[in-house]
Amino acid sequence: MTATSTTSSASGSISAAEIDASCRLPLFQLFVGAVIWAAVASVFGLLASLRFHDPNLLSHYSWLTYGRVLPIATNAWIYGFCMPAGLGVALWIIARLSETRVAQPFLIAVGAKLWNLGVLIGLVSILAGDNTGFETLEFPRFGVVFLFLGYLVIGYWMLVTLHNRKEATVGPTQWFLLAALFWFPWIYFTANYLLLAHTPVRGVVQPIIAWWYAANLKLVWFGLVGLAVIFHFVQRMMKRRLYSRNLAALTFWSIVLFASWSGIPSTAPVPAWLPSISTVATVLTAITALAVVVNVYQTCGRDCSKSEDPAAGKFIAFGTMAFVVAWLMNVLNALPGVNAVTNLTWYTVAQSQLNVFGFFAMTMFGAMYYIVPRVTGVEWPSLKSVKIHYWLAVAGIILIVVPLAIGGFVEGFNWQNVKMTNVQVAGSALNFVRVSTIGELLILLGNLILLGNLIRLSIRYSQTHFVPVYKEATTELKPAEGKP
Amino acid sequence: MRYGPLVFLAAFFALAVSWFGMVYTPQIQLGGAVQETNSVISSDLYPSERPGLARQGLEVYRENGCFYCHSQQVSQKGTLVDLFLTDAGKTNMAVANALNEEHVGTGTFSGPGIAAGLPKAIARNLSMERAQSLAAILKNNGAKSEMHLVPIGADIERGWGVRRTVAEDFIADATVMPGSQRVGPDLANIGARSPDLNWQLVHLYNPKLVTADSPMPPYPFLFEEKKIGSHPSPDALRPVGKFAPRAGYEIVPKPEARALANYLVSLRADTPLYEAPLTPPPPPKAATNAPAATNAPAAK
Amino acid sequence: MNSPAKQPVAGAPRDTELKDPTVPIWLIVVLFLLLFWGAVYFDDHGGWFEKQVYTPYVSADQLKDFQVGGGPNPFEQGRVIYSKTCFACHGANGMGQPGNVPPLVGSDWVNEPQPGRMIRIVLNGLQGTGLTIHGQPFNTGTAMVPWKSFSDEDIAAVITFVRGNPDFKNHAPPVTPEQVKAIRDKIEGTHPGSFSPAEIEAVNPAD
Repeated sequence: MTATSTTSSASGSISAAEIDASCRLPLFQLFVGAVIWAAVASVFGLLASLRFHDPNLLSHYSWLTYGRVLPIATNAWIYGFCMPAGLGVALWIIARLSETRVAQPFLIAVGAKLWNLGVLIGLVSILAGDNTGFETLEFPRFGVVFLFLGYLVIGYWMLVTLHNRKEATVGPTQWFLLAALFWFPWIYFTANYLLLAHTPVRGVVQPIIAWWYAANLKLVWFGLVGLAVIFHFVQRMMKRRLYSRNLAALTFWSIVLFASWSGIPSTAPVPAWLPSISTVATVLTAITALAVVVNVYQTCGRDCSKSEDPAAGKFIAFGTMAFVVAWLMNVLNALPGVNAVTNLTWYTVAQSQLNVFGFFAMTMFGAMYYIVPRVTGVEWPSLKSVKIHYWLAVAGIILIVVPLAIGGFVEGFNWQNVKMTNVQVAGSALNFVRVSTIGELLILLGNLILLGNLIRLSIRYSQTHFVPVYKEATTELKPAEGKP
Repeated sequence: MRYGPLVFLAAFFALAVSWFGMVYTPQIQLGGAVQETNSVISSDLYPSERPGLARQGLEVYRENGCFYCHSQQVSQKGTLVDLFLTDAGKTNMAVANALNEEHVGTGTFSGPGIAAGLPKAIARNLSMERAQSLAAILKNNGAKSEMHLVPIGADIERGWGVRRTVAEDFIADATVMPGSQRVGPDLANIGARSPDLNWQLVHLYNPKLVTADSPMPPYPFLFEEKKIGSHPSPDALRPVGKFAPRAGYEIVPKPEARALANYLVSLRADTPLYEAPLTPPPPPKAATNAPAATNAPAAK
Repeated sequence: MNSPAKQPVAGAPRDTELKDPTVPIWLIVVLFLLLFWGAVYFDDHGGWFEKQVYTPYVSADQLKDFQVGGGPNPFEQGRVIYSKTCFACHGANGMGQPGNVPPLVGSDWVNEPQPGRMIRIVLNGLQGTGLTIHGQPFNTGTAMVPWKSFSDEDIAAVITFVRGNPDFKNHAPPVTPEQVKAIRDKIEGTHPGSFSPAEIEAVNPAD
């Protein structure tokens, strides 16, 4: 697992090591920030889940009530970990595929800092009670501004890097990343401007826009970036090209055309055409899942487990499977018969967790485990920790998704049974939620292990790279030997 | 071939279409909605503005993330019709025979019997088509009938509402929070179910005071425990047992709690609307000597 | 395959030179089946983009059928009656036809607090010349037919609708079937035929 640095024979082209070196500063900012936020998010996620064991827990503090702790957990995950990690991995992939140095790494690092500042402001505001009231869009205006600016800075220079590419044609990985790069500013600006600006939209249009944004973020943006990473790393690990570009094109079009229309729940207080379109669009995203299955399976060939970097490869493999399951769970939820039971239950939470953590976060973990040693030149201090993190994460997400999905069905059937009181129905799902707390704990431990590993790697990096340089710069000059 | 710009155009087109369909069109259709005298008897506008304290309560609801566990969207599976006979006309026998031929109800109708106790329900839980055909038959025989709408659905049977919620119910709200999960019951019509402010306050202070195994967390920080002055506050809560305050202290709701309780009590979605028609129950009559035989329609 | 001239950097195959197997046929079939299902589903449940159609209703026409007005809902009942009967002459927007059919928008006789004039017109019809509304004459002699065949409830409902409809800029109080019945009884013997504008003018609305 050494960092390869082949120098190309042709002049004018640069080596992988040079590209990686140019990525170092922005990736450091993005990844370290992301992993710290992941740990924070897991802590708050555990806190939220513990409420279902004892509602009285920490209830005297207004800033720790469930309604504030939960949005912090979800927002820290999505905006604190997932998006910066995604942007970092995307940056590295674009730089490598473009065979050019990253453009303006320092400015990208500044963008990352702006983003992190926005996340911090947003999360503290939610703690203080300034929640906008829209899910996935809870950050108030002043936090949103920093997030948006940070993204624009990072995104612009990523685009410049792509523009500087050596080869004009772009492959599927780059299509996906390019589309995603452009997608987020539009949906983020539209949603926040229409909901939080001086004269916001009124009435039920507000939640419609919030739902539209959430679907476009969690399905389209995460789908595009996550699949791009999966496609790239599957090819890299298997040392084989992607099986079919046409299938990748089908995947691309099905995501941007179908998934962008999903998101409206069937019981929403909106005219019938909106949930109907969402239902149809969501069911059509089954095509995406199927196309990815065929493409990745055929690329792997007979043996999916022989990969260049097994530790990181396992994360990517799990992420791929989680993608397919999560999107098919979403399709199941949209089917009218099933939806009558699962709508507004824990099932939707399970599907969302599997999509965000099981698919996207795990894929980003794998990519980070692969990229960081190559970019820094330093191996992970503890390879065993990587394995432990993998198993903790897998166990954790399974312990969250499976009980919540089953609990969602149980709860849904019980809501239809008029003889059960509200408390009885809520109680019937509670045991499942309590099991999922163990899952949250395992995920927290996994994230802490990753954080520890990353910190140790950073220390080792500074020891091997900075300290000798510093020492050399500060030793007293010895007189040249043998010369006056 | 330079695919870069093509990819960008493809993504732009797809997102533009999605934006047009899901953001722009709803705004055109629903965003300009104003309060209308859509369906209420008087020239009152619906929905009425929430009173000031309730509007503040909406902010408290938003700040504390109540919408993560409570939805405000009542669903409806269908609408059935109860057919009421209001006037048997001049030929009771013909009317009774016509109804018997249609196999309406479980028994048989008789000529003299049919005119007794009007207005009364002669068939319940019909589909609209069946109700319309029966009404036409009655009209042909000189009788007059009336249709009462009965919305059905799991939410409605559970008592969470009398009809589904529609866009118009939310026009007057600054932030619309229909929720995405039901850990607790739906709140769209809670003002009709639990209109007592005091109940809401006690429930907010500690839900276990009202429901023993409620999973809802308590909100004691919306209240303050203050020393009893010269005499107890009129709006102090009086929890007992392990929830009781220390001796000499009382639990008084803070303005936030009061606002939130007022907001909850103002949440109603039971007015018949064009989009969600229903026949509201008749207002309670003053006590009379005559026995209430049927669901009499409201006095005309 | 890897062309020797383009050695991939650091072992990553360039995915711009992919083989292009066609998309498996079964996936295309599934796609078209789902598209077909989606079209049928939307046709059945989508209400065709009507703003007022919410599940469980499936079309604007079906929703109209459910406006039965049973119970204290005469405004909506009146809206339905107007849309079936009165709109033919007075227009869906209540503006009438210039010179021929008087407007109901902002009309004095519609808006006065006591509905005596309006009930008489609806019951027995209006015929004759000499009618001027907002300075516009209606002298063609086109008659408004009597609607006394409608029930008291229906007449009260449609008058309530016209009087209270903000689209017609009318904000007058509603009318009850008892009021209609009272006037119907009063004029049944004394004035069975149509009214003329002069007669209506002479009527005391509170009567």
